Amino acid sequence: MISSDVIRGYNDTIILYLLLEKQSYGYEISKRIKELSNGKYVIKETTLYSAFNRLLKKGYIESFHKEQTFGKKRTYYRITESGLLYYQEKCREWELTKEVINQFIREDYL
Amino acid sequence: MDTIINYVDNMFASLPKSTEMRQLRDELLANMEEKYHELKLAGKTDNEAIGIVISEFGNIDEIIEEFGISQEDDVATQTFLTEREVEDYLQVSKKSGQWIGIGAVLCIFGSAMFVLLLGLFEKGVMNGLTVETGMYIGVILLLLCVAVAVGLFIYAGMQLDKYKYISVKGNFELSIDLKSKIKTMKDAYQPTFTLFMIVGVVLIILSPAVLLTMIFFNEHLANFGVFIMLTLVSVAVYFFVYFGNMYGAYDKLLKGNAQRTKEKNEDRVIGAVASIVWPLAVIVFLISGFIYGLWYLNWIVFPITGLLFAMFSGAYSSLIRKEE
Repeated sequence: MISSDVIRGYNDTIILYLLLEKQSYGYEISKRIKELSNGKYVIKETTLYSAFNRLLKKGYIESFHKEQTFGKKRTYYRITESGLLYYQEKCREWELTKEVINQFIREDYL
Repeated sequence: MDTIINYVDNMFASLPKSTEMRQLRDELLANMEEKYHELKLAGKTDNEAIGIVISEFGNIDEIIEEFGISQEDDVATQTFLTEREVEDYLQVSKKSGQWIGIGAVLCIFGSAMFVLLLGLFEKGVMNGLTVETGMYIGVILLLLCVAVAVGLFIYAGMQLDKYKYISVKGNFELSIDLKSKIKTMKDAYQPTFTLFMIVGVVLIILSPAVLLTMIFFNEHLANFGVFIMLTLVSVAVYFFVYFGNMYGAYDKLLKGNAQRTKEKNEDRVIGAVASIVWPLAVIVFLISGFIYGLWYLNWIVFPITGLLFAMFSGAYSSLIRKEE
């Protein structure tokens, strides 16, 4: 299990990656995160919705309502043009971060 | 599932009841519900499913921070009262109680003067002047009294306006020390308050008796009887207003913010009724006198108003208290 403190700066990246795959809604996204991380990262509801709010405000995602098959209305999210640019930026940032931090990780302790 | 709904509602209880927050709550709840059903399908027990769902809810502080909700709005305006403020408030309540009391007394007393003058002129005590002249003098006196009374009502209202945050809104906190001090003061005041309320009621009930006794002994003394009776009524009304107001001030300080919504209506209603009822009584008195010539009878307006007013304030207060 990864602590939410460590991963904080990358919640946006994770969400944008999933929205790049396809438009989605809250629970589906949190389920996908769990799946793709093999259960090593479970995003909290409040963290997820704080991230949605932040990304919406910056214009990286947009929300819309969609009826589900069993009649319930859900808020769906999709990534925008500037969201894609931001995601690419974050990918490069991670590459750099990984490179820098790796310099300080002794492989014999891994 | 109810456990989960309760949990989320509790979490949101401290947040503003805006549309945004309601939508967020519904959305979070929908996610949690779906998660719960899937966990149940995967063979978890009810308790396990609820436990997992709640543990993955997170921290409501994240929402507060991210959505820029300031919870301080309510708290910031609720300042602790200083001892000085409390003393000033009590002082102003006392003064304004006096002014309002005197105003009510003037309305009644002016009419009493009027009846007295009428009697004096009828007896020809003021030699050389007709009854009609006496009537005009009386009316002018009465109107002067009412004018001064209205001025006093307005003045008292303005004085109290500064303390709206205590008397109407209840936006304040009291330190434990100050609270117990005010409680002691109120308890010390209680016997005085009760005594004067009783005296006031007795005066109003006895006032017609004085009149009847005087008429019984000498029919010509009717006007003087009315004068004395109205004077007694005005004293009683002064007690009601002054001591009631003072007692109310202690009460307001002690009750603070809690249970104030109804209380503030009570203050407003009784105050509004008082400032309408007494001038109205004067108007009824004048009209019935001048237009219908009922001078011998119409002074009854004042004791009746006094009684009705006392009954109304008493019944209204206790009804409101009961509702709480």
